[in-house]
Amino acid sequence: MGVTITPTMVGQVVISGLLAGALYSMVALGLALIYGVMRVINIAHGTLLMLGAYTTFWWFRLLGINPYLSLLVALPLMFFVGMLLQRTLVARVVDAPELSSLLLTFGISIALVNVAQLTFTSDVRSVEFLTGAFLVGPFAVSKSRLVAFAVAVAITAIAFWFLQKTKLGKAIRATSQSSEVAMVCGINVHRIHLYAFGIASALASAGGSLVAVMVAIQPEMGQVYTFKSFLVIVLGGAGNYPGALLGGMLLGLVEQLASLFLTTQLSEAVAYVLLVLVLLLRPTGLLGGRAT
Amino acid sequence: MFRKKHDRLTAGWVAVLAFVLGIETWVTPAAAQSPIKIGASLSLTGTYAALGQNQQRGYQLCAKQMNEKGGVLGRKIEFVLYDDQSQPATGVRLYEKLITSDKVDAIMGPYSSAITEAVANVNEKYKMPMVAPMASTTSIFKKGRKFAFMVQSPAEVYLEGLIDMAAKRGLKTVAIINEDTLFPKATVQGTVEIAKKKGLQVVFVEAYPKGNTDFSALMTKIRAANPDVLGAATYFDDAVAITRQMKELNVNPKMYGVTVGGDLPKFYELLGKNAEYVYGASQWEPELPYPGAKEFNESYKKEFPGADLSYHSAGGYGGCQALVEAIKRAGSLDGEKIREAVLKLDFNTVYGGFKVDQDGFQVSHKMVMFQWQEGKKVIVWPDELAAGKARFPAPPWNQR
Repeated sequence: MGVTITPTMVGQVVISGLLAGALYSMVALGLALIYGVMRVINIAHGTLLMLGAYTTFWWFRLLGINPYLSLLVALPLMFFVGMLLQRTLVARVVDAPELSSLLLTFGISIALVNVAQLTFTSDVRSVEFLTGAFLVGPFAVSKSRLVAFAVAVAITAIAFWFLQKTKLGKAIRATSQSSEVAMVCGINVHRIHLYAFGIASALASAGGSLVAVMVAIQPEMGQVYTFKSFLVIVLGGAGNYPGALLGGMLLGLVEQLASLFLTTQLSEAVAYVLLVLVLLLRPTGLLGGRAT
Repeated sequence: MFRKKHDRLTAGWVAVLAFVLGIETWVTPAAAQSPIKIGASLSLTGTYAALGQNQQRGYQLCAKQMNEKGGVLGRKIEFVLYDDQSQPATGVRLYEKLITSDKVDAIMGPYSSAITEAVANVNEKYKMPMVAPMASTTSIFKKGRKFAFMVQSPAEVYLEGLIDMAAKRGLKTVAIINEDTLFPKATVQGTVEIAKKKGLQVVFVEAYPKGNTDFSALMTKIRAANPDVLGAATYFDDAVAITRQMKELNVNPKMYGVTVGGDLPKFYELLGKNAEYVYGASQWEPELPYPGAKEFNESYKKEFPGADLSYHSAGGYGGCQALVEAIKRAGSLDGEKIREAVLKLDFNTVYGGFKVDQDGFQVSHKMVMFQWQEGKKVIVWPDELAAGKARFPAPPWNQR
């Protein structure tokens, strides 16, 4: 039992897909940054997103102020949390075999989720702030997802401007291309690692703050975003920053269109089939790896 | 003196050991005869801990009050309870122990369909009757087992109220969505049958994976199908997410109901005004006018101040009532005789009707349907138990 698919419906899910995709892109950019600069796959990326979501929740619950303003607190806060993690833990495994960094970030993830369970409890929370939709002709555009889209696009644009134009951004890209050469050129690579992890954490937490207004918040919510971000950076080319943008948008669209034409159940499978295909046909990702 | 200290130490270790093993027994003051032992394992820790503990309080209160009334067959009742840590395999081991080494006289069920399904093979083997209050999966009771008895309504009828109300209002089409796991799937099968019987056309059915958070495309399809009624076989997170995304994609059927999760106060807490007009299914609500229910609520609050009271507690109590009544009528602790007596029972417990068919499948207990109205759950179905009228149809989302 199903329904006949009309162009309007396709239009509707394309809108939903783009709205979701921008968010995926922004969050995955953080993961790509850490991988690009340090060759570390940060399993705790989604967990940092969860912390961002809780920051927004408590901000809204305790202060009752517009939850989007919590970005002003969550971003710097998580930037420092990220630097702290890098300084104390991740720095130790940067040049170690890949398994070490996987285990370490996996451990960080478990520890943070458990701390969140203990301090925030595993009760499901939500930020009831912006619900409902703008009705544009035959299309419904979710208010909270539209705002999330706009903010994600803005933050991603700033991140790109920063990477392209500023001295620090150029140093990050240089380290990402070759950390030895960067070091020879006088770039303090350890400091770059620190900033990269900080920025990546801030990007993840921005995702969390935006997601907090859309879905239910609980300590394990981050996991799925780790997987999705991983999918995105492999699709786009690991360590390739514009690739992360393309990958995010693609994932958003594929998920939604698969849910429409097939079933919601198969949409996740389709995303992973796509991952396998890309790995088989273009192992360096759609835009090729590491080119920045 | 040294000796005494040693004794105290030993006693201490025994207490610690008992605690570690999760043993909890009530030893009633020496009765003329030894007490009747009823065994059960419950999920006191692990995933189902909160719910299993509610059920445990139901058992405890039942035993206490039965004993105050003089027990049964002139003997006191004593529960032997263990913690199965929410694990079916542990449950199996514990029921084996209850029957063979603790030599209990009868048993009550554990929490959840999954654990009941596993342990039902154990009591069957020893021909020991088990009243299982917290299993609502039909298949458990339709496998030819003779000694397992169901207390609550099966998954298939969770949305019966929604469909019945829709049919009475002359609505024509229904869409059904569900989480793709055992229990919600059974609800969908049942609902499709009921809808056909009541003359409604099922225009859309689709499942979504467990843990799904994005329902946009699903909602787009439902909007296109434009049903009069939307039924969702849910747990909790998904019930909240679906309700939100219905608003986001402006899906507005005349009636919308969920199964599990919609009954929790948290549902309204999270959704606020957007929970208004949503229907939910419930096995039991404290205000239902079943015989003894009011007294049960009061004594529960007195016995366990501040503790959570839910249908799990009432179900535990009601199931225990049914078992004790059957023992009384059988006049014996013989498994076969108790079974005969259970099959003949047709009465009301604090939990509602109790009557099982020859397979032990519950046929008398009724689900109720409530609607969120101004922050309160108002029972609107069935008519004979309704406390208010359904607000129909649901207004557009921006007018709630």
